[in-house]
Amino acid sequence: MKLARGKRGQFVIIAVLLTAIMIVSIGALMHTAITYYKHEPWEEYSTLIGDIEVNSRRLLELSLVDYTNTVGQNETILIDNLEKWQNDLAYIYPSSGIVLKSDTSSGGLSRSWNQAASWSEAKADFTLDIKSIGLTGYKFAATISLNLNIKSVTTINSTHNEITAVIKSESGSPVSNLNKNNFRINDATATAVSPFYDLTDIIVYKIQYQGTLPATVEVWDQRGIRVVGSIAA
Amino acid sequence: MSMRNLKNTRGQMRVIETILAAFIIVAALSFVGIFAVSPTSPGFEVTDLEKMGYSALHDLDQQGLLASLVFNEKWGDLRTVLKITIPVDVYFNLTICNLSGSKLNGDTQIIYGDSATFSNAKNIASVSYSLLGVSKLNPSTGNYEASYDPRILVLQITRG
Repeated sequence: MKLARGKRGQFVIIAVLLTAIMIVSIGALMHTAITYYKHEPWEEYSTLIGDIEVNSRRLLELSLVDYTNTVGQNETILIDNLEKWQNDLAYIYPSSGIVLKSDTSSGGLSRSWNQAASWSEAKADFTLDIKSIGLTGYKFAATISLNLNIKSVTTINSTHNEITAVIKSESGSPVSNLNKNNFRINDATATAVSPFYDLTDIIVYKIQYQGTLPATVEVWDQRGIRVVGSIAA
Repeated sequence: MSMRNLKNTRGQMRVIETILAAFIIVAALSFVGIFAVSPTSPGFEVTDLEKMGYSALHDLDQQGLLASLVFNEKWGDLRTVLKITIPVDVYFNLTICNLSGSKLNGDTQIIYGDSATFSNAKNIASVSYSLLGVSKLNPSTGNYEASYDPRILVLQITRG
């Protein structure tokens, strides 16, 4: 009897240990399951921040289109549009307490035209506060640009010339979807435009036109941003 | 004789212990389950639908389709591209307004699914997305024009 009682005691200890291990294992397993599907409130606001960032870039794009296509360029269009956008944000997202501040001192609207390497650019820095979630000082920068680089001019015959040019966007990658309607040489549409692969610049455009040198080359990308370059005689 | 009785008692106790252990495990699982936010719970479902709706609008915007369709008022095409982008089992209702709150798509509903689906739905997510404008080619001048003219897109989505 003494021995039997002693053995029962050992079994009880083993049973308690096993139960404890089992409970801890189940707890760990359930914790993993809960945190895997945990509801993260910030995810709802990441979409809001994303929308504001995308639209701020779009605003620079619209302002640059206006700036580069209007005769007697409107230098204040970007600042005017930024003010409207900052005010309208409060209406679009009424309960979020959004304050968007912008700074164009890093560039604003600028251009360098009538050269072999010409460009149009819009640049601004933004600071975003969303009071409803306690977000302050979220910074992001936006740059939109179109660059034209005339690499060479070849005379085809007495009336026709061919320009080789590279057109790049703000990302540094070549703009690939242009056709002859996107180019104007000396105020006339180019006669033929063909993209070619280039080892250094990936895509170069060969633009044939009827006319003489010097020439003025105007380019619009699909967004409507314009840049004007020129070739000396 | 007394040993026999003792053995019998030990066997009954083990059965009772097993039943009690089973009750403890079931109770623990049920208790923890209360706090779990599973994919079928309303909180998870609405957040998931919001992300899906925003992603659909954002993708179409990045492809340059959304602004063009909204500002050129091509509501039928807009419905078609949304239908292609959003999964088949998700129904949507899109409303387009300007800053003064006027509904711009008028009587034309940009909807997939019956309107009763939205009135009877358990979980509906609502996503707001804004578009600031689009550049357009002016055929008479040959130049592009762009102006600040915001549109607010309100997308309601639910599962069927």
